Formats: sequence, structure tokens, C-alpha cells
Amino acid sequence: MTSTEVTPAARASRSRGRGDGFRLLGIRLQPAWFFIAPSVLIILVFIVYPITQSLWYSLFNWQIGATNQEWVGVGNYVKLFHDELFWNALRVTATFAVVSVASQLVVGYLLATALAEDTWINRVTRSIFFFPTIVALTTIGLVWRFLLDPDIGLVGGILHTIGAEPIDFLQNTSLALPSVIFVSVWKNLGFTMVLLLAGLKAVPAYLYEAARIDGANARQLTWHVTIPTIRPTILFTTLILTINSLQVFDLVYVMTGGGPLFSTDTLVTQLFREGFQNFHIGYASAIAWVLFALIMIIAAFQLRLFRYNDVD
Amino acid sequence: MSTDLRAIGRVRPPRGGSIRRGLGKTTVWMIISIGIVIALVPFVWMVSGSFRSEADLFGNPASLFPTSWTLHGYTAIWQQLPFLRLLLNTLIFAGGTTVLLLLFDSMCAYALARLKFRGSKLLFWLVIATLMVPIQVTLIPVFIELFHFGWLDTYQGLIIPRATSAFGIFLLRQSFISIPRELDEAARIDGAGHLRIYARIILPLSKPALATLAVLHFMTLWNDLLWPLIVTSSPDMRTLPAGLTLFGGQHVTDHAVLLAGATISLLPLALAFFLAQRFFVQGVATTGLK
Amino acid sequence: MRKIPVLVAGGLVAAIALTGCSSATPASSGPVKLSMWTGFTGGDRPAYEALISDFNASHKNIQVTMDVQPWDTIAQKLPAAWATGQGPDLATPNFDPNVISKYLETNSLLPLEATGNGATDINLDKLAPSAIKAFTAKGKLYAVPANIATLQLYYNKKTFAAASITDAPKTVTEFQEDAKKLTSGGNYGLALADHETIQMWPVLQWLDGADIVDTKGCAVIDSAKSVSSLTTWANLVTKDKVAPVGKTGAEADSLFSAGKAAMEINGPWAAAGFKSAGVDFGVAAIPAGVNGTVTLASTVPLAIGKSTKHPKEAQEFLAWYTGKSAQTKFALASGFPPVRTDLGADAQLSGNAIVSSFAAALPTARLYLPGVTGATQVDSEVYVPFIGQITRGEDVAKAATEAAKKIDAITGCRG
Repeated sequence: MTSTEVTPAARASRSRGRGDGFRLLGIRLQPAWFFIAPSVLIILVFIVYPITQSLWYSLFNWQIGATNQEWVGVGNYVKLFHDELFWNALRVTATFAVVSVASQLVVGYLLATALAEDTWINRVTRSIFFFPTIVALTTIGLVWRFLLDPDIGLVGGILHTIGAEPIDFLQNTSLALPSVIFVSVWKNLGFTMVLLLAGLKAVPAYLYEAARIDGANARQLTWHVTIPTIRPTILFTTLILTINSLQVFDLVYVMTGGGPLFSTDTLVTQLFREGFQNFHIGYASAIAWVLFALIMIIAAFQLRLFRYNDVD
Repeated sequence: MSTDLRAIGRVRPPRGGSIRRGLGKTTVWMIISIGIVIALVPFVWMVSGSFRSEADLFGNPASLFPTSWTLHGYTAIWQQLPFLRLLLNTLIFAGGTTVLLLLFDSMCAYALARLKFRGSKLLFWLVIATLMVPIQVTLIPVFIELFHFGWLDTYQGLIIPRATSAFGIFLLRQSFISIPRELDEAARIDGAGHLRIYARIILPLSKPALATLAVLHFMTLWNDLLWPLIVTSSPDMRTLPAGLTLFGGQHVTDHAVLLAGATISLLPLALAFFLAQRFFVQGVATTGLK
Repeated sequence: MRKIPVLVAGGLVAAIALTGCSSATPASSGPVKLSMWTGFTGGDRPAYEALISDFNASHKNIQVTMDVQPWDTIAQKLPAAWATGQGPDLATPNFDPNVISKYLETNSLLPLEATGNGATDINLDKLAPSAIKAFTAKGKLYAVPANIATLQLYYNKKTFAAASITDAPKTVTEFQEDAKKLTSGGNYGLALADHETIQMWPVLQWLDGADIVDTKGCAVIDSAKSVSSLTTWANLVTKDKVAPVGKTGAEADSLFSAGKAAMEINGPWAAAGFKSAGVDFGVAAIPAGVNGTVTLASTVPLAIGKSTKHPKEAQEFLAWYTGKSAQTKFALASGFPPVRTDLGADAQLSGNAIVSSFAAALPTARLYLPGVTGATQVDSEVYVPFIGQITRGEDVAKAATEAAKKIDAITGCRG
């Protein structure tokens, strides 16, 4: 596909000699440094340094700008351990992550297989399902909150018209979280579908041919050919979705603000409340680090589970 | 990676998985049609709501369409916001960041995928780890940093901190390692250096992945609310979504204006989406994300 | 094949554009420039903007630029901005007056000393006393009220007529009976919001002489009086369904706008929206309680950052802002009562029914959790969930005991 294109271009450069290193003030620099420099600089300055700072904050009863910060050591973490709202937020976050990631993967996979063929109708349908992905979460939260309102919303209005009792989706402590999860799945489904579709399309045809010759049925093809082959895609998708859903904030914040009665209060909404409403920066940083550690552990576990290194 | 390159992205999956055969095509399409309705109705409601008066919106909740029309939401925005300036800022922010991000991410991904260097494993884990930091955590330290750099309320303050993304590096690395190494080696024998291999072989072969990344990030940045609000402190530097927050009041909410704002800020994206959807709804299919 | 040059060129163009736009800081001659951050988004914004442009037009030597941003954004960056000495000269740190104590902890506020009786002084004695009390710490004033509002009873005249009720309720008993009468077939007698709102429930408690916290910061929400008052109202919600459960302020407003709620306790800002939604409504005083009339007042503090380079000019602005002519004009434009107490006789203001109704309530209006340590946290982590519990049928006495414990833990009451 490409060798004919590449060679002339590469040949043209022959006279310039090997580009395998750069000289700066006589020091031979590794080429890799050049390539990674911009990203690494940005990551160090704007992510790594701030997050280590927040680790530092978490050991204090931190007040922004105060000259003397009150050292509390692991005090914030101990307090967190005894904070029922933290355990509640952890439970909500875990439920949110597990349910939304699992539903997105399953429904996304089904959609991807159903729409895999490149017919025009499939393409249009894929685009429609992908569309919610491009919309801002705050817009989505605003619109859905209105749609789901039992008294003045579309869903309530339709239920009322057909004579049913309106449902208080976001006001009911047991329905609020499922409703928010539903909207989150609705928003991200297209993205998941497209990622999985990429994996499906890259499964070499000869694998299916070979399996069919061996007499495999459709179910066996799915479980023994498709899924093992697209494992790296599933890993990537799961990892990204998990990380994103553990950090869920905007949608919850706009739709329920964490309520009613903390039934949708996630770790990041709690962090936000502590840090920016109660001004407990140290405590908020402790929550952040617990969340960070949690995500790290889960990601490492997922990478191991899917034997990530096989990909290389 | 022994698969022939030509096999990738060219083959059709088997005709029908178990699911489709089990349920039958009609059932599948009935379910999909319901899905389509659920996917579209909120947007129809949003656009129609932006033309509805408060009385109509609350009075006829079961109706998806206006019974009386008003343009008041749009005129309010047009009169009260420096609309073109906001649009320009959003383009500079989302566009500029996307361009830099593609460049930096692809360079970093190239190093990770192709170069052997000390600390490459560490870097890879660092990149993965940065994926996991919620923005709320670093907000205050980053704000203070930007102040010390003198970057608050400037374009570079808006753009540079966002000009790399762990997601992008991760995705591009995956894409790059699926390009057969034989191609680089051939070029190398011809005397090409890394810069040349990166620019002339790896990037052109990763166009779909780059396009996908560009679109995804452009969308995210376009919609971003928190970041522009934190970095900017003058109305002239605001982006469109950030500027539109002026209409959501603490006590009073004018729904027509809010929905008009949502529609307006979605419009350019929707347009871009329909023009570029080939790239990412199908283009993703060849990102090498296999 | 030309990807890289294009990318590099794009990057360069971006970089040039960046540097070109960043270095434009004018030399410090000409008028003093004051920056001001406020959270007055939404329908109130034009009234504040008009004030600022009036000030700028009449003060050639001082120019104020107001940047309006969501309250959340201010909460996120103002503490860091002021603590590092580079924030705006003036700001409304939060809509919650208790936030002043938070900024005092970090020593971020400039004490206001330009007070006095002159036309260019901050006329301390003439400003709403409840607000001034909330903004004073250790004998020093740290903010002036950017606005003050009281809550009154909005009622839907059409619904009232349909239920053959002629007047707005005058007593608590009438209030409760009317609410029941006006509730039918999916319509509520009273739109009560319990979160993301200006608090309505404390007014109901106060009417019965009950309260949340006493002056020492100790919880009294579990007192016999409080429990009995809350039980009555909780029953009205859970059994008689006079009010919806779990609504935000905006949702409660929408109910009233839609004609699905006959009454709502709300501030002056709501009038315009109700009018444009075509509701035929009246505004009445909150019915009298056991201790006479009472309602809730809310006020937004407007403070000066300690690091400002122009303390004199900033205070001059505050003096003008709280002055007679500015407040008269602001009241007429926004429907808010003036922050001054000496404008009652002003013909223009008393001619405006809405303004005068809300202004009339000022003398007996009380702030929500004034001077309570951790008031924001008491609100978000105790009071809001507590109301949520009792309106969902939980035992009031039990929930109140729990809530009292949590409140005392936050406020540090050792009573």
C-alpha cells in the first residue's frame, strides 16, 4: 500500500545523512528526548507538579494563601475513613462506573455488530447514535433534566396524556442514580460503538473462514474468534470508559447536584463540595488522592487482566 | 503483528453475529429504531424549546413542538453577547489546541512506539497515570502556576496546558505500533532519520487515527466550560460556551435563552460533525485500534 | 505527505497569535481601572451593568469593568486569586453572606474605612442592618450589600378565584388551609423548593417561632417547638401533597409559571419571569406567625480585595454604589429593594408595587444561618438532606435529632 510512496521520499533525504541524533552545544542528544519533550514538559508542569502539590495539601488543614498551614499528617485520610458521606460517594461512584461501563460495552458491542456492514443506512444510523457524543455534558444535563421533570417535562407530559402517573425520576432517591446512569450511557454509547467497530473491522477475514471450516456456529465465532481478537480494543475501551466514569462530575452536577439525599453524590462531586464550597482544600485533596489511587489500582488490574503487554 | 497490512481494515466481519440471527433482522431494527428516537428526541426538544415561550413550554409539556413561536432567545443572545468575538475565541482555543495537541501527542507516541530509550516504560506509565487525574484536583495549583507565568487571561494560558493529552498519546501509540516496522527499516536503509520516518511514513499512514483524535478533541475543547472560565477573566477572552453561562441565573432561568444558547453552540459542531463524520464514524475503523 | 510542515506552520501561527495578543498591558496613566467579579448572571445582570456604566459615565477618573461569571467559577478561583495577591479589586465572593468569614481566614479582604455620613462616604448607618451585621467582624466592616432581597408570597389570582379564595392568607392557619384547598389533581397549593434555591423552609419554621441554630451556634432544630412545626409542614407535604418533593428553586418557579402551583415563597427576581409566562399573580406579605411577621432576607456581599492597588477609589465606588441615587435607580430596574433604609419615602419607589412590597418586609427579615461557622456546610450537608428526609416521610423527631448532632459537630457548639 505504501512502499512505493515512501521510498522516493526517503531516498530524497539520503544526502542529509543519518538523522539519528541531534547535536546541541556538542552534546549528542537522544532523538527520543526531542520527540517526547513537549508532551513531557506539559505533563510535568501542568499535571504532575499540581497533583503532587495536592498530595502536599492533603497533609494539612490547608487554607489557600495562609502563611501558616496547620499540619495534620494523615489526619484528613483518617477523617475520610470515618466519613459516611465518603463511603456513600464511593459506593455511588462504584455503582455508576460498573453499571455504566458494563451497559455501554454490551449495548455498544451489540450495536457495533448490528451496524458493522457498510451500507448507507448503517452509516446514517451510526452517525445518529454518535451524535450525542459531540454535545456538551452541561447541555445534555440541562435538556434531560427538563425532559424528565414529572410536572413540566416531556416524559411526564406524555405519561400524563396517556393517563399514567408521572414518575419523579430525579427527585426519587432510588431512581435518580439509574436515571443519571441512563443519560450517561445514552451520551457515550456512540463513542463506545465506534471504538468497538474499529476493532471488529480489523478482525482478519481468514480467521472467520478458518473457524467456519472447522464448523463453528455464530455463537462460537463470537466467543472464540471475535472477542479474543478484539481483546486489545475491548481493553482500551474499558479502560477509557472506566477512568472517565470514575471521574464523573458534570452530568451529575447539572442533573442532580449529587442529590436527592446524596443518592447520586460521587467522589468528584464530594470533592468539589469540600474544596470549592466548604473551602476544605486539604480534605478535598485527600479525596482526590484516594480517587487517584483507586483509579490507578483498577487500571493496573484491568491492564493485567487483559494481559496488556501482549499487544506490543 | 504478523498480519498482512492489507488484511487490516479491509475485511468484512462475518455476516451476522449470533445476536442478529437469534433475534431476526426485523426485531433488531425495531429496537434500533426506538434507540434512534431516544437519541434524537432530546435534540428536537432542545431546538424547538429554543423557539418556545415560557408559557407554551410549561403549559404544554407533552408537546414536542412549539404552539407559538418566539425568537426572543436568539435576539437576547445576539444583543447581549459579543457573539463573533466569542466564536473567534472558541475557534482559536479549540483549533489551536487541537493542532498543537496532534503534533505533540504524535511525537510522543512515535517515541513510545518506535524508539528505545531509558525511561520509556516509566513515561508510558506516566502517560497512563495522567489519564486518571480529574481536572478538579489540579485546578487551584494550575491556576496559581498560570498566574506566576503571567498566562491568565491569555491565549497561551488557554492553549498550552491543554496541548497534550494522555488519551491521544495512548491512542496514537496503539495506532503507530500496528504499522509494520519493515517500512521504517526500508526508509532507514535509504538514510532517513527519525524525523523523516515520523513525518513521511508514520504520520501519513495514521491519517484516520489523527483525524479521529482531532475531531474528538476539537469537540471536547469546543464544549469545555470549566477551563476557559478559570483561565479567562475578561469577557473578551471568553469562549462561546463560557460566555453563554451568563444566561443561567442563580434565581431566574430563561429557558428560551438557555436552549437557544445550547443550540447555537452546538450548531458549528453539528455542522463539522456532518462534514467529517466519514472520518470518525467510519474512519475510526482504521485507526489500527485492533 | 506534507502533514508535518502543515502542522508546524499551524503551530507557529498559533504561537505568534498567542504572543501577539498577550503583551498588551497599557501603561498606568489615565483613569484608575478597577476590575470587579460578580456572579450576577441571568435576568438581574442588565440592572447591575446599567449601574456600572452610570458610574463610569459620571466618574472620569475611575473606570470599573465588571466580569460576570457563574458563582461556581468565582468560588473556584477567587480564593486563589486573592490569596496570591492578583485577584480583582472588587468582587462578590458568593451569594452566601457567610462566605465573608472564609475570606477573612485567609486575610484577603480590605477593611472598609471610608464610612461616614457624607455623600461620598459609605453611609453605614443607612444600610440594611442585618447585612451590615453579617459583614462586620471584630468591629470592622468588610463588605457592603451588593443587593438585598426579601421573600414574599406570590399567589396565582386565577387559581385562588377558582378555589373561591378571595385574599392571600393572613395567618399561618389560613396559609395551611389555603394550601390544602388549592391542591387538586396534580396541582399544588404551594411550590416549595428544597435545594439549589434560596431557602424557603426556614421561613415556615420561623412562623411557628422555631429555628435551626441559636445565637451561640448550637442546633435548636430538634427542639419541641421546631419538631412540631416541621411535623405539621412535613405532613402537609407527605400526606396532603400540598407541595412537590425534591424540587430545585428553578423547578419550583416553573411550577408556578405553569400555573401548577398556586403559591410560592420567592424573591423579587421572580416577578419578571412570572409576568412573561402570563401568570396573573399577586405579591403579598408572608402570613403572620406567632411572633408577628417574619421572612427571609438574602444579601450578596460586595468586598474589596486586600491586594488592590486602589483602595481609595474602590471604596469611593462602594460609597457611590450604595448611595441614594444609584440605589433608587437599581431598585426600579431590578425590583430588588434598595440596600438603604432611608429611601422609604422616595416617591418613585413607593409607587412601584413590587419594590415597595419587598422593601416593606426588610425590617422584619432575617438572614439564613447568619454568623454560623460552616454555614455553607450546614446547609448542603445537613439542612438540605434533612428537609429531603422529612418530606419523604421520615420521622421528624428522629431526623431532627440526627441533624442537630451533625450541625453541632460542624459549628463546634459545646452547649
